[in-house]
Amino acid sequence: MNVNLTINKKQYSLDLKGHETLLEVLRDRLSLTGTKTACQETECGTCTVIINGKAVLSCITLAVNVQGDDITTIEGLADGDVLHPVQQAFVDCGSVQCGFCIPGMIMSSVALLEKNPEPTQEQIEYALDGNICRCAGYPKIFEAVREAGKKMKNKNGPDR
Amino acid sequence: MALTAKSKFEDQYVDPVGKSVPRIEGRGIVTGQLKYVFDVSFPNMLVGKMLRSHHAHARILSIDTSKAEALPGVKAVVTARDTHQIKFGSNEYFFPHTVDQMALEADKVRYIGDEIAAVAAVDEETADQALRLIDVKYEILPGVFEIEEAIKPGAPQIHESLNNIAVILPVNFGNPERVMKEADYVREDKFWCPVAHPAPMEPHVCVGQWETFTNKITLWSSSQAPFKCREALAKTLKMDLNDVRVIKMAVGGGFGGKLEMLPMDFAACLLSKKAGGLPVKICLTREEEFTTTRRKHGMIYKIKTGVKKDGTILAITGEVLADGGAYCSYGPTVLAAAIMRIFMVYKIQHFRMSGYRVYTNNPVSGAMRGFGGVQSGFAIESHMDMIAQDLGMDPIEFRLKNITTPNMVTVNKMVLTTNGLRDCIERAAVACGWKDKHGKMKHLKKGIGIGIAADVMGSKMYKSHESAGAIVKVEEDGSVYLFTGAADTGQGSNTALSQIAAHELGVSFSRIKCKAGDTEITPFDTGSFASRVTFISGNAALLGGRDAKMQILEIVAKDNNLNMEELDIKAEKVIFKKDGRKLMSFDKALELCYSFKYGKQIIGRGSYNPKTTPIDFRTGEGNVSGSYGFEAQIAQVQVDTDTGHVKVLELWDAHDIGKAINPQSVEAQIEGSLAMGIGYTFYEDLRFKNGRVLNANFAGYRVPRSIGIPKINSILIETDDPEGPFGAKGMGEASLLPTSAAIANAVEDAIGVRIKELPITPEKIIKALKEKASQKI
Repeated sequence: MNVNLTINKKQYSLDLKGHETLLEVLRDRLSLTGTKTACQETECGTCTVIINGKAVLSCITLAVNVQGDDITTIEGLADGDVLHPVQQAFVDCGSVQCGFCIPGMIMSSVALLEKNPEPTQEQIEYALDGNICRCAGYPKIFEAVREAGKKMKNKNGPDR
Repeated sequence: MALTAKSKFEDQYVDPVGKSVPRIEGRGIVTGQLKYVFDVSFPNMLVGKMLRSHHAHARILSIDTSKAEALPGVKAVVTARDTHQIKFGSNEYFFPHTVDQMALEADKVRYIGDEIAAVAAVDEETADQALRLIDVKYEILPGVFEIEEAIKPGAPQIHESLNNIAVILPVNFGNPERVMKEADYVREDKFWCPVAHPAPMEPHVCVGQWETFTNKITLWSSSQAPFKCREALAKTLKMDLNDVRVIKMAVGGGFGGKLEMLPMDFAACLLSKKAGGLPVKICLTREEEFTTTRRKHGMIYKIKTGVKKDGTILAITGEVLADGGAYCSYGPTVLAAAIMRIFMVYKIQHFRMSGYRVYTNNPVSGAMRGFGGVQSGFAIESHMDMIAQDLGMDPIEFRLKNITTPNMVTVNKMVLTTNGLRDCIERAAVACGWKDKHGKMKHLKKGIGIGIAADVMGSKMYKSHESAGAIVKVEEDGSVYLFTGAADTGQGSNTALSQIAAHELGVSFSRIKCKAGDTEITPFDTGSFASRVTFISGNAALLGGRDAKMQILEIVAKDNNLNMEELDIKAEKVIFKKDGRKLMSFDKALELCYSFKYGKQIIGRGSYNPKTTPIDFRTGEGNVSGSYGFEAQIAQVQVDTDTGHVKVLELWDAHDIGKAINPQSVEAQIEGSLAMGIGYTFYEDLRFKNGRVLNANFAGYRVPRSIGIPKINSILIETDDPEGPFGAKGMGEASLLPTSAAIANAVEDAIGVRIKELPITPEKIIKALKEKASQKI
């Protein structure tokens, strides 16, 4: 069936099967391999993308169900060469180890901070609890979220 | 331009060693651009899948692949008939008889998940369907799943070894039986250390391609040890070593689980050959990852210690039984490490402990972060705390009385040079406020507990040497390429090694590009394990940087009629050693090297092999590491005695790391280890029933998540090791070793109950509290 998707502000018209997940479409059809998966059964958060401002697991999201929605993946965060404040904070705070969970972790963090740039420690922990980091670099991830929040708050406008 | 003109690098120069330089891969990771094997795709690439046994123990009577081969879209099916049936193993050098696994089993399967055949097809659905069409006839054999059952005479025989004991390790020093009789107090304990799983976020994944006309293999691998993988592939496929190329890409976590070649790596290559050279990608599912890759050994750890009234340890005896599962993997050396680590920590003269590595029809146990030390750390450090308590001594005072010291040789001939253990304990104790807290918070159901540990940096378990190499190539434009065989699995070794090479060459970190872990291009390296990379590969990077520097100085000296011994390169400048005066910029020196007059390519090389002796496994003697790292860890907990829930409130980790090349990365390793230790203490427990894994997913097998990570205080102790690169030691694993004991000891301090079987669950706490209450009545 023909499916129209808006991913990172770009329009895609694709011929898909009804059972194809957004994750499969991103990785296998569009080669947007920045979005990873570690379980394909909703338990690890690695495949998180943002749909209409909310952190969503792409592994259980059927592509046909998100037509017309505003989908953002890790590839859509940076502004040209300039990293999104959350991306930059993850680099600066040393929050990346093996990196495999990081795209999903960043998407969950962005979704949190867009709504609340000054989260409490508890709010950060709850927002990221669905994202497993097996390197368990959580303390430095928390630090990055706090740092990025400060930068996002200081910028005008709701988007950045 | 004058010779003394400044380059842009000179103005911005910062000595990279000791700085928290951001990870080289950082921008690639946060933008999703960094490529893992998981992300790799080639034209006409096939999907490979493994056919696995559903039986824990069975004889293979026949395998019929004809229907699978006839299925449209199937390009290759392989079974043991297509192989040379050569066995592989990981302790080949020291324990040749433990080489016991075939990539595709021919006659017998020994665990649920054992590989029998593999298929390659145009897509996943077809490959799955093909697997279902392979008809295997079995004669089901009785299985054995518990260690203590497996060693009974008459138990089902899994391999040829008597009573399913693959390896017996006797470690004997002095006369512990005699000395034990002289002890004022003797205590004996038995501990259970459960099975954990590395569970990296990126599952095992590979792409194999057999160039059928040139007869060369390339494997794109998510490996922690590409050169080890190459060796095992060449051996089992009967290829020349130089016809096999293993390319390590970004690795999404390893934690010991990606140290070995697995049957899937072998199968991907063989399927590619049979499919006429098309590349074959095999990616394990999460369930396969949990059930068919290597797991941590479950261990029964029995320990008995005799002490004097004043707390001096006189003798230790014990027994360690390890559930090895179906094949040996790294098992024998894991077992050795579980027994022998104690010598680095405590001064012991009289010791007798025997280790038994036992076959069962469970999945294969192998290496996992800590390499036996997590199990022994829990047992020994819990045991020591109980002795201190029985003697009425402060646990810290007891430990300080018995710990190893700098510049000593242990009873098994380990040479400890720098040793910051005392400093670690004292600094951690001060930082946490031990004196005011230990034994004084029971009314709040709060407690504090300590555990200490030591670790190697390198293990000399690969053949007879454990060398690493480095090439430092300085290009005409001033860019510097560091080629290292070391495998960065996310710990940041590419960054740390680049920092080391840059410092030694005297140039900015930003000049360096690191190329790592390609067996055809980079120098040999045994891989990422045993906390060896910073220490061993780091020394090679240092020597490579130094060699390149000397080549540059030779030209500069010649051109200026100077003696090169007078010169050095520091902070982007060629300087006179005696007064630090600048002769010329680094760029200018390079211009000279690459001038019409000299035309000299700068290619530095470094090779480092630690000054060690391999362990003699008949006696337990040997100096396995060029230096040793130490640490003390303290946990503060609060227990809810109604629910049995233990909350870790705060952790302190004082770590002798020699010198922190990159403090941020060091802290990240400590924080990650401690969190992983919390997981092993409270919930990481792979469960089995008749050889079947019951919790082979992240819902059933819980790993640490963002909720429940306490405040972690890292205290870096720099002992400036004379052998380490700029004084650095390795440190990726040690922090995981004492965590479980520190927490168990804190629980004891809080509520007076002792848990000797991990994980510490609410049920166990409640049960122990009830038992304690009934004893009082």
